[in-house]
Amino acid sequence: MSRFKGLHLEPLWWGLFSAGGVCFAVFLPAVLLVFAVLAPLGVIHLNMNALATAAGSIWGLLFVGAVICLPAFHAAHRIRHGLHDLKLGGGLWSVVLCYGAAALISASALWGWLALTSWF
Amino acid sequence: MSEQRFVQVEVVRYLPENKTPEKDEPFSQFFEVPYTESTSILDALQYIKEELDSSLSFRWSCRMAICGSCGFMVNGTPKLGCKDFLRNYPNGVRIAPLAHFTVERDLMVNMEEFLVHLEAVQPFLVEEQQAKAQGVQKYTETYQQTPAQLAKYKQFSNCINCGLCYAACPQFGLNPEFIGPGALALAHRYNLDSRDHGKAQRMKVLNGHNGVWSCTFVGFCSDVCPKKVDPAAAVNQGKVESAKSMLIQMFKGNS
Repeated sequence: MSRFKGLHLEPLWWGLFSAGGVCFAVFLPAVLLVFAVLAPLGVIHLNMNALATAAGSIWGLLFVGAVICLPAFHAAHRIRHGLHDLKLGGGLWSVVLCYGAAALISASALWGWLALTSWF
Repeated sequence: MSEQRFVQVEVVRYLPENKTPEKDEPFSQFFEVPYTESTSILDALQYIKEELDSSLSFRWSCRMAICGSCGFMVNGTPKLGCKDFLRNYPNGVRIAPLAHFTVERDLMVNMEEFLVHLEAVQPFLVEEQQAKAQGVQKYTETYQQTPAQLAKYKQFSNCINCGLCYAACPQFGLNPEFIGPGALALAHRYNLDSRDHGKAQRMKVLNGHNGVWSCTFVGFCSDVCPKKVDPAAAVNQGKVESAKSMLIQMFKGNS
């Protein structure tokens, strides 16, 4: 068992946090601009049928991963360490609560993507 | 000559001999200190000790930001007394001992609390075990290093062990077992050195919960560093190294 001695999950959470941070910075502003600003204002017109087809493809899966799952784990990590800074935990319950919420969000987003694909 | 300017200097003091079972607290003392454009915080403290109250205790040595002895909280921010000036505080200034350390007397803190963490990361060139065991004499020769190999760690080698980053780090404040920004930056500095062979031993310390993983990237350590070492960058590069090291350990086992 010596190969597992001293190992802990923090690098995993930090890796997800780092990847999510990149996605947050690179993809989310563009997504918000398109779906939350330009489309509602009528500046651009989205073809819903084409969107639904694209969302059911592998691109939809990449979208879910980069825009929902990874940023969710990024936010969960920040909230967990924020709780620690406020002396509100840092123990197991904050791990379960924060990453559990992120996992739940990710799972429901992936389920939504699966529902859109033709093989569901 | 222009009129002499004065500023009010508040010094937070603690005298252990005045301690009673009911009261064991630091207190503030106020001084009017004359200053010019070139009066440093350290000059002000020396003026107070020589002219106003000789019982004041504080550490200092070089007066030129190289010894790292005169770290204080100046209006709540960790600063070197010799590198900060009274002209920056025309409305008065409050000088307190470095935060997060145990105060020994007045402005002197117990630096041992930092030095134990520094020692733990072996901040020196570790020789190759094999060479040592075989009694090879080749390390009595001058080490050779290319400018590119030097550039890798040069920035992190400017640390003067002043402890300002520890006073700035909220994680060290919450958990004194945290190895801390200064020692982690020096660990990274030696890990990056082509002449060093101690990385495997240092990674055991860095991989733990009190190693790099206690850092939440607040980044204030890099703001207050008087030598521009940027410990926050070193710690985060250390996280990448630690993640790699733990992955390798998981698949290969401990060497």
